[in-house]
Formats: sequence, structure tokens, C-alpha cells
Amino acid sequence: MIEIKGISKTYDSIVAVANLDMMIQPGRIYGFLGPNGAGKTTAIRMLMNIIIPDEGSILFEGGDQRPPANKIGYLPEERGLYQKISVFETLQYFAHLRSVPHPNDKIKAYLQRFDLGTRLQSKVSELSKGNQQKLQFINTILHDPQYIVLDEPFSGLDPVNQLLLKEILEELKQAGKTIIFSSHQMDQVEKLCDDVALINHGQLVTAGELKTIMQSEGVQRLQVTPVNAKDLTHQCFSAFNSERTNGSVFIEIDGHSKQDIIATLNKSMDLKSVKLAEPSLEEIFIHLVQGSQS
Amino acid sequence: MNAWKIAWFEYRRRIRSKWFLIGTFGMPILILGISLGTGYMAGSGAGIETKNFGLIDETGFYGEQLSLVLDKRFADKETPPFNIAVSKGSFESLKTQFDELVNEKTLDGYFVIPYDFISNPVLRNYSRSSSTFRSTDVIESELKELLIKEKATSLQLSDDVLDELFFDVDVAHFDIGSSQERETEELIADYIAPFIFMFLLFLGIFTGGQLLLRAVLEERSSRVIEVLLSTVSYNELMGGKILGLGLLGLTQSAIYLIAAFFAGSYYDLSILTPAIGLLYFTYFILGYLLYAGIYIGVGALFDSEQEAQQAIQIITFIAIIPMVLWTMVIENPNSTLVNVLTYIPLVTPFFMMIKIAVGETSIFQIVTSIIVMIISVYGSIRLAAKVFRTGILLYGKRITLPEIYRWIRA
Repeated sequence: MIEIKGISKTYDSIVAVANLDMMIQPGRIYGFLGPNGAGKTTAIRMLMNIIIPDEGSILFEGGDQRPPANKIGYLPEERGLYQKISVFETLQYFAHLRSVPHPNDKIKAYLQRFDLGTRLQSKVSELSKGNQQKLQFINTILHDPQYIVLDEPFSGLDPVNQLLLKEILEELKQAGKTIIFSSHQMDQVEKLCDDVALINHGQLVTAGELKTIMQSEGVQRLQVTPVNAKDLTHQCFSAFNSERTNGSVFIEIDGHSKQDIIATLNKSMDLKSVKLAEPSLEEIFIHLVQGSQS
Repeated sequence: MNAWKIAWFEYRRRIRSKWFLIGTFGMPILILGISLGTGYMAGSGAGIETKNFGLIDETGFYGEQLSLVLDKRFADKETPPFNIAVSKGSFESLKTQFDELVNEKTLDGYFVIPYDFISNPVLRNYSRSSSTFRSTDVIESELKELLIKEKATSLQLSDDVLDELFFDVDVAHFDIGSSQERETEELIADYIAPFIFMFLLFLGIFTGGQLLLRAVLEERSSRVIEVLLSTVSYNELMGGKILGLGLLGLTQSAIYLIAAFFAGSYYDLSILTPAIGLLYFTYFILGYLLYAGIYIGVGALFDSEQEAQQAIQIITFIAIIPMVLWTMVIENPNSTLVNVLTYIPLVTPFFMMIKIAVGETSIFQIVTSIIVMIISVYGSIRLAAKVFRTGILLYGKRITLPEIYRWIRA
């Protein structure tokens, strides 16, 4: 378990991270979310001991002793690779630094899996952005770390490779690894994470189990689809806080009962379907941020 | 342990690069080529432009005599440094004509031998620029000899006596306790050897320093630094880099010294003794570590190589001082100025190397200079570590001197 207790970091007068608390359970995937510039990378660098927090502490398994480097895998936001050496040498060097025994077979197997088997001797600079990201990911997990910290791992990957990455993260989770990853792409997090923390302007907006947050923080809405498309603009919708999207109208339940809404609409039109709409994580985030600002 | 792994990685990838081979072997070849080439050019007269001078001879005698001896002196030269056209007459009558010739650039200048030259031997020179200044030396010495001969003749000394009076003095050089005269080549080699040692030291230290700067900038700009710092500590990373590139510099120095040893043996010269070799490596290590601190500190502060190189220029200017003053150090190794400069840490290794190779130093100077260097290295590396730790991850931010001061004090 990793406990982050009240960490803060200020650069000159800019507060990058303010009093951040997070609890990361072992064997789970923890999503760290926020818009660009929210403070995710600073927080991750503090977690990685690359920068020292001005205040607060980070505890691994209850102690302030950091696990050895070969227990942690880290993928920085931007490509952290030597450009002028080969793919194989890059991986060998980092494997050597992390004391991986006999790494060559492992390197070749991972490169094969990521469809880079033929690029063993290519210089890193010769690889595409996506392939460099894959190489960097291999470098992060090659030494079989217990903790895997990924800063924007999906950036630069095409949909096929995004799927592959998700598959591997699932496998790693099954193997009991603790995975922390940051992203500003909420849909990725929603599909993958067990727990999340939402951060904005360096401050924690909310944190906890994804399922619970989705249920408790999401705005409850009804998705209403009329039989006649012309009823989508019916004036009866103006009685509610509603939004029209793709042949349906989404009505916020807040302050009304579901039955009342349906009864009101039935008086004015024929309804094809009415269902409870699941809020997306992005909607929850926007709702919470707007709530905290007001 | 991790520092060694980093050191080995840095060493291995640089030593295999073609730039290391080009730098190590190409640089001495280039320097040797330039030296030999410029020597040949100077000897061939290709760099000399023949100047044309006029000469107004009021005595009606010395001008012609001077012209004859100069013709004799420059007889074997394809390009004589100057030609002299003699006109007998008074300065007053010829002045306007000669001034015009100079102004329309037919002449580079003209001389006047006044009528009372024998009693008041002052040769006057009129010219547009100072480029004629050096030519007066030759004319001065030839005229002096003519005057002496003229005075000797007036004293009715015979030609035999005159020949007896004019002779050259040679100096024969011997080593202490040796009866074999030293050859000129050997003397030149002895004179230049201290410079060569200093130059090799300079080359080794700054090759290592520059590579260190580039290595830090490369890791900083490619963000590899973050992956490394999640794996190793700041001190291991910095130490590994300094060690690896220092070993590279040592390899380069060893190649040069081995070459110097064999070259010396071939010509039967004992330029490189074990003591000089040992002190060379001592000053190399201390000098390299001092500059390594500076280079790594600067590398941690800048995003681009151009900015970093500009910042490092000031330091490089100081380090060039020994390159400019080397003849002074060889000829006056224990003058007050040289002794003071010897204890300025940025140039200590270079000055000491010259003094050691000349054989004009003492155990006291060696020990004290090493102590000065050790203290400076400690300071440099300590400050570099503080700057490196704070500055290395501050991308895209212009760092100010007060900020650096704060980091150092923290």
C-alpha cells in the first residue's frame, strides 16, 4: 500500500500541488486524473522521489523507506529514451541498472509481444512516436516491478496498441502488481481503473473507488427518446434541466421524482424509451470541479 | 555500484563513437599538420609580401653600400621581404616627390640617411602605416655594421684585422655530467615538450568536460533523466557520469602519452619520465574533476547546448591563459606572476605541468598545488551536486543567479 499524506509543492509563487492525500491499495489500478497542468506530473515525480515535496510524506507499506529501484517501474510523461543508441542497448542498460538477471531473453520476448521484434538494432530515433512509447513501456516493466507508475501511458499510441497496453495492464494487475497511472483521457481511466483520484489546480477534488464515485457523485439523469423526432424540441422539456443529444433528451432528476417526470412527458408525447443514464467520469469531473468553484 | 554501471555505459558508448576516434587521433594530426604547414609556409615565403621602400641618401655613400649588402643578404630568398630604391640627394629637394610616391602606393615608405649620419646615426623612416616597422630591424643592423667598418677603415685597420673583429659566437649545449653536445632538434624538443604536455592535459580535460556537458543536456532534453532518477540517486548519476567520461579522458591521455614516449624513444629523447607521467595523471584527474563540477552544474541549468556553451565561455577564457602564456612560463617558471597564477585553481594543472616538464618546480609547490586542487575539487563537486539536484528537472525555466545562490545555500 502507498499512502500519500498531505504533500505540497510550490514553484516560486505557483502552487503545483497542494496538500494532496491519496491511498493506493496493493494489486489495484489507480487512476490519477485531471486536466493538463492540474499537477499530476508533479505529484507523480514526488511519488517517484525525483522531486522532494515541500510538505507531507509518502509511505510505502507503512514506512517512509522507499522500495528499491528494481521494485518500481516508472514511465515519464515525455519520452525518456536515449535517441542515439539501439533499442536493445537501451533496454539492456536499464535492465543492468535495475540488476535484472539474464535480461536478454526477456527483452526479446517483450519486443516480440509489442511487435518490435525486428527493430532490435534500430536506433531509438528511428522509431515512430508510438513505437518509442511502447519501448518506454517495456523499459518500465522489464524488471518485473511491484509498483508501476505511468504518466500518460496512452499518449501517442494508436487504438490497436492502446488495447494491447490495456491487456497487459490487466495481466499485471492479475499478477498482483500495484499500478498507478495518470491521464487526462477520462474514458481510458473509466474502463481500466479500480480506484481514482481527481485533481484540479493542484488540489484533490475527490478520491476513492471508481464505482462508488460514479454512483455517489454522478448527476442522475433520465434518457428520454420520443416516438416522433419533432417532439425533441417540445416545450414541456423546458420545465426541467435538460439537454438534447443524438435523438434523445437527457433530463436531470435532481429535485423531481422519476415518476413525475415520466407522467409529465406522457401527457405531451408518445415515448419510445425512458432509461436511467449512467454519468461518464468526465461529466462527474466537470460537475465536481464546477461545484467546488461555485 | 550504480555509479560504476553508469560510468561503464557512458565510457563504452563514447569510446565506440566515431567522434571519439576522430577527436583523439584527428586532433593531434590536425595540430601537427597546421604546425608543419605553417612552418613550411613561413619558410617558403608564401606569407611574405615584398615591400618597396625608397631611400634618400644625403651622404651619397651609405645608401649604395646598404643596397649592396641587402642584395647579398636576400640573394637566396625567392621572395625578399623588401626592395630598396636608392636616390642620392637632399631630403628637402626629394621630399615632395617621395611623399607622392608613398601616397599613390608605389612605395610603402621611405628612409632618409641624413648627411651627418656618421656623427649622428639616426635613420629616419616615413610611412603610411606601421607595417614597415619590423623591416627597420634589418636595415638598422646592416647600417650599424657598415658604420663600424667605415670607422675601422678611418682608423686604418687592415681587412685582415677587420675579419678578425667580425665573427659569430656559437653556444654548445651539454647536459650536466655529459660530454656529448646536444643537437638543436633535441633542444627544440626540450623547449616544446612542456607545452605539449600542457596542451594534452588541456585537450583531455576539456574533451571530458564538453562530453559531460552534452551528456547532461542530452538526458535533460530527452527526459531520460527522469527514468534514471527513478532508478538511481542524484549522486550516483552525477558520480557515474563524471567517472565514465573521466575514464574516457584518461584513455585519451594514455594514448597520447604512450605515443609521446615512443616518439621520444625513437629520437632518443627522454621527454617522458615516470615522474612526469605520474604527475600528469594526478593533475589530469584533479583538473578534470574541477572542470567536471563546473560543466555538470552548467549543464543542469540550461535547456539548449547553445545557451550552455555561452555560459561556459567565461570559464574557457580563463583556461586559455596558460595557452597564451606558455613561453613566459617556460622561460620564467618561477617569476612572481607565474607563481601567483600557478595557485589559481582553474589554471593550476596547466601551469604546474609546464613547470614540472621544464624541471623548475619544487616538492613544496607540487604538494601545495595538489592541496589547492583537492580543496577546489571538493568545492566544485559539492556546489555542482546542489545545482544538479535542483536545476536538472526545471525544464523551460530561465534560472537566475539569486536562485542558484539560494540552492547552494540550502
